[in-house]
Amino acid sequence: MTALKTASLAALMTAALAGTTLAADTVKIGYQLPLTGETAQYGQDFRKAAEIALTEFNAAGKPFKAEIVFEDSRSDAKEGTNIARKFVDDKAIVGVLGDFTSGVSMASAQVYKDAGMPQLSQTASHPDYTKISKYQFRNIATQAQEGPYNAKWMLSKGYKNIAVIAEQTDWGQSVVSGFTDGVKANGGTVVFSEFFNRGLKDYRSLISKLERAKPDAIYTGFFYEDGAQFLRQVQQLGIKTPVYSTSAAYSPKLIELAGEAAEGVHLTSNFLPTDPAPHIQHFVTEWKAASNGAVPGQFPAQAYDAVRIMLAAVEKAYPNPTREKVRDALAETKDFAGVTGKTSFSADREAEKELVKVEVKGGAFVPVAD
Amino acid sequence: MIDPYYLQQLAIGLSLGMTYALMAIGFTLIFGVLNVVNFAHGEVYTLGAFAGLVLISATAPPIFAVIFIALAIGAMAGFSLERIAFKPFRRFTDEASLKSRAMRESTLLSSLAVSIVVREALEIVFGSQMRSVPFEYLINTPVRIGPVILVTGDFIIFGVAAAMLIGLQYLLTRTRIGLSIRAVSNNPLGAKYVGIDTDRTIIMTFVVGSMMGAAAGILTGLYYGAIFPAMGFVPGIKAFVAMVMGGLSSIPGAVICALILGISESMATTFVSSGWSDMVAYGFLILTLIFFPNGLFGARRERV
Repeated sequence: MTALKTASLAALMTAALAGTTLAADTVKIGYQLPLTGETAQYGQDFRKAAEIALTEFNAAGKPFKAEIVFEDSRSDAKEGTNIARKFVDDKAIVGVLGDFTSGVSMASAQVYKDAGMPQLSQTASHPDYTKISKYQFRNIATQAQEGPYNAKWMLSKGYKNIAVIAEQTDWGQSVVSGFTDGVKANGGTVVFSEFFNRGLKDYRSLISKLERAKPDAIYTGFFYEDGAQFLRQVQQLGIKTPVYSTSAAYSPKLIELAGEAAEGVHLTSNFLPTDPAPHIQHFVTEWKAASNGAVPGQFPAQAYDAVRIMLAAVEKAYPNPTREKVRDALAETKDFAGVTGKTSFSADREAEKELVKVEVKGGAFVPVAD
Repeated sequence: MIDPYYLQQLAIGLSLGMTYALMAIGFTLIFGVLNVVNFAHGEVYTLGAFAGLVLISATAPPIFAVIFIALAIGAMAGFSLERIAFKPFRRFTDEASLKSRAMRESTLLSSLAVSIVVREALEIVFGSQMRSVPFEYLINTPVRIGPVILVTGDFIIFGVAAAMLIGLQYLLTRTRIGLSIRAVSNNPLGAKYVGIDTDRTIIMTFVVGSMMGAAAGILTGLYYGAIFPAMGFVPGIKAFVAMVMGGLSSIPGAVICALILGISESMATTFVSSGWSDMVAYGFLILTLIFFPNGLFGARRERV
């Protein structure tokens, strides 16, 4: 009976596939991301970016239609693995995007590794993430690239004694270790290094403690909400030590929330919404239309690119895309012209990105030469 | 001479403790004094903050109007919360139900359910992003006192918390309403038998407690300059710890413990990593439960 069923099912599928030459069929992609909970704002942005990319793809008259299944992981590792199992069980899904945090991405990656499902995270930047298996890709510069880059930048400005603080997460730890290695290799000293809990409201104790170490500059691993609170309280306490940060803090919301306290903050980025290139302006326009005129930050831009890279890989693997074929197509991605610069995947499935130096001046992110 | 660094940390701790105390006062009134398990206070706090923010972005009103609207929304929220999550559990008036522990504690789940619905609804309406408060409304202009830097909000929050505390102490010990609140909390059945309108007393307490919660929300929002749907969670936990440490039914106890909590957290940052400073609150909670089951300032009273 079962054999008969399988056989008839197989026959049906062949018939269906034969029919696709005329009727456009649908390829499914999973996207796990936090849509509720403390990090929901990021997940919602990713979904918005993904929908822009998806609508464009489906309107472009490709031989097939793409569909994205969004699942809410609430930035919870347990929830993430459950979603991963769900995606793996859905035979129609050929590739997965997400998750947002390194921690959840890495927990889910264990499931994708065993099932042979390609996973592309737009933001997971922990060095160990892509080391899990050949199925993990990312579309973000890691702290192992960004840390030393920023360390050289700060040392070239004459800051020798640097204090480092970062959030207490997998990612935050990679910020501190990546940067500290860079500072030591280039002859500087890290005089203070500490972690704080994400979502801390009051940084004044930490700031006072940090200032006791008398650093020349402060290097920070935080996202815009924590960043805005931190910068404001630095200003409140009347501290003038220059603050540097990673591309994770690069968001217009940082300036909106911190106001003039954000003036003079230096950070790196690989997306500039002011770049006049037509494809970047196209994304910025679409984004503004979808979000009441707000300018996109770097994360939505990375998500937009990640979705497009994934869709391009699926298109390459078409017809009859399988998970394995999509993985191979992803690995071959070379000089993909996205809004976050040209992206190629190295042999370790790391995105090779160019970084831009940026300073907050007059309430805007302005690119600077040094 | 004391190192100015420690003075600064002490000041930061006091101001941190004040924000906890502000939340803890209304929370203790409902949870501790009235003796009703209520886990939706954090959302009342958030609602108060959002009400103020909506008014600010719509009409640029004077600061007193902002506080007033927060209080009004708080009163409405308290009334509706009681109506939705608490009243249905009082519909059985027989003696067994009134004495039933399960009936009393089932509001733990119903209030939690309301809090989840409110938080998610706020997320749908306003999005989960942090919203900024226009700078002219912020109450964090730095004020320098000797070697210590505070902000204007610290004094405002101190004033409001002190006014709330004194007002409530007066209400509870000197007025008939206060007397009936304490009677209902002590023995709802007995209060009913001697002719106290228990329903009205409970609703009143919810309205007053929630107004305080909403005021705490908008003040803290203006103090830190960020308002978002999940903002009530952490202060809710801190207020809960302060209440338990203070002996559940004692509002001055909760305020003193909130200050102890704030100072300990900021002092702890000096000696351990800031990532561990949240441990202080939970550590205090455990120590209190083990060594002072009645709290540090609790009256010895039979818990129902």
